[in-house]
Amino acid sequence: MSLSGLLQFVGRSLQRLELSLWQAAGFDRFGPALAVNGPGILPQSHHSSDDENAQPSFLDSIFWMAAPKKRRTIEVNRCRRRNPNKLIEVKYNIEPCPECGNMKLKHTLCGFCYEKVRKETAIIRKQISIMEGGPLNTPAVESVVLYENETPSDADKGKRIVERNRKRPYWFNM
Amino acid sequence: MGWLLGSSSTLSQVSCLHTSPELNSKHWERRNLIVYPPQQKDEPRRPAEIHHCRRQIKYSKDKMWYLAKLIRGMTIDQALTQLEFNDKKGAKIVKEVLLEAQDMAVKNHNVEYKSNLYIAESFSGKGKYLKRIRYHGRGMFGIMDKVHCHYFVKLVEGVPPKVEQKTGFDQAKEYVEQLRNRTIIHSL
Repeated sequence: MSLSGLLQFVGRSLQRLELSLWQAAGFDRFGPALAVNGPGILPQSHHSSDDENAQPSFLDSIFWMAAPKKRRTIEVNRCRRRNPNKLIEVKYNIEPCPECGNMKLKHTLCGFCYEKVRKETAIIRKQISIMEGGPLNTPAVESVVLYENETPSDADKGKRIVERNRKRPYWFNM
Repeated sequence: MGWLLGSSSTLSQVSCLHTSPELNSKHWERRNLIVYPPQQKDEPRRPAEIHHCRRQIKYSKDKMWYLAKLIRGMTIDQALTQLEFNDKKGAKIVKEVLLEAQDMAVKNHNVEYKSNLYIAESFSGKGKYLKRIRYHGRGMFGIMDKVHCHYFVKLVEGVPPKVEQKTGFDQAKEYVEQLRNRTIIHSL
């Protein structure tokens, strides 16, 4: 990505800046600590060659950054944006739900029917939470939902009863 | 709105002038206000046309274009089902616009059956952008556009016209014919 290349370039330029400041301060000429007869400073040939090598790498990093050469014309842009693989495909797996008549996807539940079940379940859950009072108070028995004018049968002997004051919905078969 | 009489035979000079006194009416909405003179008995029945739009939708015009392109030429029911099962943000908005337009058609534009409509034109346009600052590193900043778009739709009563599917071979044949029909102009 151009951002990492930019960061590398920035890092390298900072390094070079530091090096040039170090040289200007005169801290790079490490000669012998004691007085010695001879040239005071060590030969700087490797330093100058290093400097020459630094220059091409500085220029190289500019050439390495990819940039668009020409402006993409609107015709070229349109060809790319309106290519059939980018257009939205028409879905052919939609069919009417046999229960309510709204449309649904073939492999999915009907959204309308699911929503109506979800609403009833939310009311039942609210009632259960009122019955329990707080978290982690679930009894260790099964629950059964009874609607108006319904009595618990023999199968519902040891179960917790959740009352709902409306008649049983046609889709809730128990 | 007597000055907005649309007539196929005569075009008065006055109708070309910008004479609208209202500030809110824009061109697309004004197309709903044209009143044609009563048709003769031998003329074919003019199908009802309903123009509807929604302005300044918080969505990109390029992304909205794909949805507009999807529903072009479909019946309104087919368009509504396709949009219902599309996961894009604009699909919900376009569906609302289509339902509003269908409602308008039945109530105000004398359309008998609400399913007897098809989408003749549907396209998106650029709305007014808000500008914000996007902060970059090192004190640099960019100007961020908060994009908005308009969505326009034209419903026409009747069965959608069948579009001839052109094969690649036909297109190539046409191109070669065009090349063959070229002549040298201003020649002897």
